Amino acid sequence: MANERTDLMQGTLELLILNTLARESMHGYGIVLRIHEAAEDLLKVEDGSLYPALYRMEERGWIKSEWGVSENNRRAKFYKLTSKGKRKLEAERANWNRISKAITKVLQAT
Amino acid sequence: MKIAIVNLLARPNRKKTAFEVEEELQFHIEMLERKYVQQGMSEAHAKAAALKRFGNTERIKKQCVDISRRQSLLRRILKISSILIALTGLAIHTSSSDYKVARLGTVLIMIAVSGRLLLYVRGLSPWIFLSGTKTSLSVFTDTPKDAART
Repeated sequence: MANERTDLMQGTLELLILNTLARESMHGYGIVLRIHEAAEDLLKVEDGSLYPALYRMEERGWIKSEWGVSENNRRAKFYKLTSKGKRKLEAERANWNRISKAITKVLQAT
Repeated sequence: MKIAIVNLLARPNRKKTAFEVEEELQFHIEMLERKYVQQGMSEAHAKAAALKRFGNTERIKKQCVDISRRQSLLRRILKISSILIALTGLAIHTSSSDYKVARLGTVLIMIAVSGRLLLYVRGLSPWIFLSGTKTSLSVFTDTPKDAART
């Protein structure tokens, strides 16, 4: 299995983060782990670049952060969805479904 | 009241923000290190591997601090501006007997309220529309070269 970097559509990382936080609040490391597990390691978020995305999302009011204690008793910053984030997630899910349906149709037509 | 004004005017402390970002990133790197040690790596190798996987820590830290600071600074500016506009509007509205001038006061109050609503609803930042979101996902796939090898 080769590690090939493929650029995905803008907003994809945000969609994955929103979806991951829909279940429970998590710290950055937990978010990366959860995405890797869910994608069975086929999709990999670059660890460091997750953070600017998280800060931008907080700036937009989609997520909120607060310091807490991690599973190994360390101080860690936890992120959770805001109600605005929940609305954004629904909109982005619908958008993703629409786009993927459209692309599948085009691919099947040729 | 005094405390509220002091809080409003206080500039977010860059050092404090940088310290918190550093702590957050450090936590992630240490969790990676721990995972690699559990997988059998030596501590030195685990540390090097964790740092490599995490990426350019200084650049990421700077990005996070900048985003965090501009957010709180802009929010403060907007809050102060909207309060000043609302107070000016209120003063004009209550002190003037001239209908047209009083209406100007009402307009100012409405502008201030709209600004506050915008801040609340959008989490407002004009940079939102300027800052491109760099896609940071890697997809692991079989390349044709690998397929030929197998």
